[in-house]
Amino acid sequence: MGAKVRVVERKGRTFLEQLYLLEVFKGMAVTLGHFFRNLLDNSRLYVRHYPEVRPEISPRWRGRHRLTRHEDGTVKCVACFMCQTNCPSNCIIIEAGERFDGRSEKMPLRFDIDLLECIYCGYCVEACPMDAIRMDTGIFSVTSDNRESMVLGLEEMLRTPGAFDEDSYQKGVR
Amino acid sequence: MAEMVKLFVNGQEVEVEAGKNLIDALQVVGIEIPHFCYHPALGADGNCRMCLVGIEDGRPPLVPACKTPAQPGMKVLLEDEKIKKIQRDIMELELINHPVDCPVCDQAGECTLQDYYMSYSQQDSRMNVEQVHKDKRLDFGCGVVHDQERCVLCARCVRFTRQITKTGELGIVNRSDQARVTIFPGRPLANRYALNIVDICPVGAMTSKDFRFRQRVWFLQKDPGICHGCSTGCNIYIDHHREKYGDDVIYRFRARTNLQVNGYFICDAGRLSYKTENENRQDRTLVDGVEVPLERGIEAALDKLNRARKPLMLVSPDSTLEQLWAIKRIATLYGAVLSGYSDAYVLAGDGDDYLISDDKAANRAGLQLLDIDSGKESFAAALADADLLVNFNNDLFFSPGNEDLQEALEATDQVSVCSHDRPAFSRATVILPCASYSEYGGSIVNRNNVLQRFARAVCRDADPCDIIEITRLLGGAISDNARAWPGLRQSVPALSRIWPERIPVEGVTLNSSEETHVGA
Ligand code: SF4
Ligand code: SF4
Ligand code: SF4
Ligand code: SF4
Ligand code: FES
Repeated sequence: MGAKVRVVERKGRTFLEQLYLLEVFKGMAVTLGHFFRNLLDNSRLYVRHYPEVRPEISPRWRGRHRLTRHEDGTVKCVACFMCQTNCPSNCIIIEAGERFDGRSEKMPLRFDIDLLECIYCGYCVEACPMDAIRMDTGIFSVTSDNRESMVLGLEEMLRTPGAFDEDSYQKGVR
Repeated sequence: MAEMVKLFVNGQEVEVEAGKNLIDALQVVGIEIPHFCYHPALGADGNCRMCLVGIEDGRPPLVPACKTPAQPGMKVLLEDEKIKKIQRDIMELELINHPVDCPVCDQAGECTLQDYYMSYSQQDSRMNVEQVHKDKRLDFGCGVVHDQERCVLCARCVRFTRQITKTGELGIVNRSDQARVTIFPGRPLANRYALNIVDICPVGAMTSKDFRFRQRVWFLQKDPGICHGCSTGCNIYIDHHREKYGDDVIYRFRARTNLQVNGYFICDAGRLSYKTENENRQDRTLVDGVEVPLERGIEAALDKLNRARKPLMLVSPDSTLEQLWAIKRIATLYGAVLSGYSDAYVLAGDGDDYLISDDKAANRAGLQLLDIDSGKESFAAALADADLLVNFNNDLFFSPGNEDLQEALEATDQVSVCSHDRPAFSRATVILPCASYSEYGGSIVNRNNVLQRFARAVCRDADPCDIIEITRLLGGAISDNARAWPGLRQSVPALSRIWPERIPVEGVTLNSSEETHVGA
């Protein structure tokens, strides 16, 4: 018990309202009023002119993934499969191999993310012990007309740069 | 029944087997004593000190559990704060120079050091000097890769090469934080059991070149199985996994302990024989070289069988008792001569006095139990006489030696029921695919007359049928393993008191004392 009950008087019982027709015209007047006002001057519209005007993405926005590199250009990912293990939609597929660049012993030979199945939860980023996978590309529109091209590969992810400088990214994820 | 003794652990009374050390004795009742260097096959070395336990009113009050036999009335302390501190300190010691490579370490997920850290340590490192660096990725030969930094110097590997293979390739050189496991220069591991070192190393210091980086172990499904590499029938784990959008693939075999058959180890050839289960499989039904659905292949085979005047059926010495029985039944049905000729499976001189045997067939003893003739003369005579050979997965060219039969084989029309695409089967006009041993279950008898049962582990996309199913489609009455047993019990005296579901996991020895092992 204890829920507050408020009785609201039912509107629309008068004769004029029961006619409906008059109310329809009153509604149309409001709609048309907005229509013509915006047609003549759209400077006060609360609408973004996408795609001419792009939305501003904050550094902590989870966009499409990328794989990062060390300063010397070597791949940070060590193919530990933590992201694959943590991924709730099971959409990361990694194949690992030997590595000889002195960074580590292991690296990914194949690293696929099926973006059709990804739910952009960011668990992969959180699981990564190397800060090797990030979702800071600022890419929010991932579209295609065929399934195959929705599988993101190793090369593609290494090629895409981050959209933010390091400081604002770090501030965003902290 | 072994003699039992009563003792106390943390004040609670438990009953354990006498004569065992505390680690083994208490493990049976579900109490874990952490340890690195002790291994039941290698004995206690007492070098790691992780197994120290307190003995209340004991002299001395602190003992290594691996070297202390369970005695009546003993008061073992495991939960004591002193003992916990010792365990924490040993863990800290082990981890001083440990690289904690877990993200790139194959052992992660089945690593003793990881597990003990979570259960007994959970402390941050207090070291603020640079760690000692040693060599990584050392190729020790036989497919064993060593990482000196991850090693906890338990010497299990060293003891394995000294006590088990008696080859002694490994040793520990230097002392303190410079100590490392190594081989003599230019003298790599050279024995046929070397990959067991990867299994017994409690950490990721010994990895297998073959399995390295291929899969994380927590994804693998680990099913028990029996190696079909030779007639010893070693117990294994079949570790397999179905990758997303992929097929069910076997990644490795590992030894499974069975003291009655193989002890704790398996040979390297058997361990790597998982590859033949993945590769070169016959998954298509072929009639005159054209791929057809299985039903069409069966029709073609039935047609040939019905028209044949003198059919000859050849069984494989790898087939299970149930499969052999089902084939024997349809051989009677079609009035066919039945042969188990398989000399090609015997590689004379290849065996040793440990696990590996000359005979590379898993169930030759079963063939003999079912009284299936395996002589070469009789097979050659029947082949010369026959107008149809139905070959149930017997690879006549497993090893050289049957070239003289080539001519007679070419002159005979053949139906092959086979799991692999091999020259012995490819000449057949009708080829029916069948399952291999990781994909069916059944019972086999090893060279020491131990009857063992195994279950299906792998389920590939192609999913070829079991040989039993094929015999059923060819008109046989046996449709599964269970239905083969009444017949087996009736016609094979040694099996007359065997119920397959009652065969214990370690198997049962036939003939000698069947009465004592399985009560009817
Ligand atoms: S964002 Fe989530 S669903 Fe997508 S790949 Fe990462 S963990 Fe998987
Ligand atoms: S991206 Fe990170 S978590 Fe994923 S495999 Fe590479 S290092 Fe491991
Ligand atoms: S041996 Fe164990 S603790 Fe050491 S790196 Fe490998 S998994 Fe990690
Ligand atoms: S390599 Fe493994 S088995 Fe050998 S001493 Fe080191 S930790 Fe023990
Ligand atoms: S297991 Fe007892 S000292 Fe190592």
